[in-house]
Amino acid sequence: MPDRHSDLVARVAAATRAVNRRIAIACGLVLLATGALILVEIALRRTFGGVLGGTDEISGYVMAGIATWGLSWALAERAHVRIDLLQRRLAPAGRATLDALALLGVAAVAALVTLHAWSVLATSLARGSLANTPLETPLWIPQAIWLGGWAWFAVTAWLLAGCLLVALLGGRFALAEEIGGAQQQEEAEP
Amino acid sequence: MIGGLSVGLLVLMGLSLPVGVVLFALGLGVDSFFSPFPLIRGLGQVVWSATDSSLLIAIPFFVLLGEVLVRAGIAERTYRALDTWFSWLPGGLIHANIATATLFSATSGSSVATAATVATVAMPQARRLGYDPRLFSGAIAAGGTLGIMIPPSINLIVYGFLTETSIPQLFLAGLVPGLLLALGFMAVSAVLCWLWPALGGGGERYGWRARIASLADLLPILLLFTVVIGSIYLGWATPTESAALGVAMAMLIAAARRGLSVAALREALLGTIRVTAMIMFVIVGAYFLNYTLASAGLGQALRELMAGLGLGPTGTLLAIVLLYLVLGFFIETLSLMVATIPIVVPIVLALGYDPVWFGILLILLIEMALITPPVGLNLYVVQGARKGGNLAEVMVGAIPYVAVMLVMAALLIVFPGIALWLGGG
Repeated sequence: MPDRHSDLVARVAAATRAVNRRIAIACGLVLLATGALILVEIALRRTFGGVLGGTDEISGYVMAGIATWGLSWALAERAHVRIDLLQRRLAPAGRATLDALALLGVAAVAALVTLHAWSVLATSLARGSLANTPLETPLWIPQAIWLGGWAWFAVTAWLLAGCLLVALLGGRFALAEEIGGAQQQEEAEP
Repeated sequence: MIGGLSVGLLVLMGLSLPVGVVLFALGLGVDSFFSPFPLIRGLGQVVWSATDSSLLIAIPFFVLLGEVLVRAGIAERTYRALDTWFSWLPGGLIHANIATATLFSATSGSSVATAATVATVAMPQARRLGYDPRLFSGAIAAGGTLGIMIPPSINLIVYGFLTETSIPQLFLAGLVPGLLLALGFMAVSAVLCWLWPALGGGGERYGWRARIASLADLLPILLLFTVVIGSIYLGWATPTESAALGVAMAMLIAAARRGLSVAALREALLGTIRVTAMIMFVIVGAYFLNYTLASAGLGQALRELMAGLGLGPTGTLLAIVLLYLVLGFFIETLSLMVATIPIVVPIVLALGYDPVWFGILLILLIEMALITPPVGLNLYVVQGARKGGNLAEVMVGAIPYVAVMLVMAALLIVFPGIALWLGGG
């Protein structure tokens, strides 16, 4: 019963998108909070000549966090840049096959980076590494958040790749395109 | 190694694999074929240092700044204000297109956002006043490219990050070439419309009273630019700090105009995170490729290649410019920039060229790629906002501006001082 499978697939894909949208909003709010912190730092420096200290370091950790946790939102939105010059000339089946390949590629990279990110975290934990800064942040804290982002990216990518493969094998190319098609060029670039 | 890399890059990109994935795959390829020891062990640490960056967080801030301004409806007012100042020139509103794009470039780090904003505001006027759609839309597409040259520029941040070049210097270096380009665009539009008045269209004439009154609409955005760039120039703030300042100011301006609802802010944040993650995936891939190339001895391979070619510094530079012109027809701009930096910039530096200067030249070539078909993002953006006509009209209209860019590239090569006057070390 391929139809029932495909409906399930569409629901899973939609749910993935909805969850990632919430995560992205959370990332955005963290970004705003970091901006506020930076403003306080500037204000203190310009008025009292004093410094809050550590703002620079914290914004680095924030960037590591929001950039990685945002990856899966960009994936769900089909925002990762692809050169579809040749691909868009193919028949729907060929297009969907390349879409599947692209998503599997993302899933493989995400899994590989997660694996290596884990070893970074494990090293920091084992050595009890502290940042070489006035804050002396235990590095495992930001690195755990960062690793989580990559792991979640891998989970999202494998989920979507699975959905896309089911849609592809069921011959539902429109659904496949919706899950992992190369997006319209308009929004692809900053 | 360089030949294999180039072929791999083109084939994998041609298969429409995401560019970030392509760069990782190439890095892994370099590791397994060209490196005596397994570089992959450094992967995690490399990715951590690429993302743990208080410099790169300027990117989401600048994206957010642009998103807030666009959603607050500031573009309409700016356009109307600049219309009063420039519409007396032959070509009328076309100059308002370019001037609005220039001003928006000075607050947003993105070319596509700039082009989209101006196109949405300007296109209805073109129809109403009977402008030739080709030159009119070409001017918007070209004006929009100034977004990555006139600071702040996300692309310059990416270049600076990957090549370890000073961002403040790059920002300052982009200012004069960016303004010269804007002037060149306006000059070429005026000349064309003077020769063929049918290219232009009608419009009102404004007196000084209207111009002075319009300053109230220009002031906030000029102030924003002054604060963002001034604070970097004077050394009061890092690029990241000035970006955060800019976001706060943009939000104040939007709030004062009652242009920013909670829903609009949410959409702005979602857009910001999406664009940031998209850029970062490519950057992380490029950073890994950079690392494998450097560890596998790219420098040696490049020196051999250069010696083999025997072109000399100028010949090599021209070959590189030609390479970008050709690739720019086919490859989307951020990808083009990020994927080639690890290979091209070491060559250029080895020839003794200045990294700040080359950054500006590279941005200029990338700008050209934005408005040359078949893959010229700004052409599609303007066409998308036109709701009618066909893409070929925008492409034709962009040609005079491509010519201006070519002249500018030549000037930049002959007189590096255009960029280094403000941006020199």
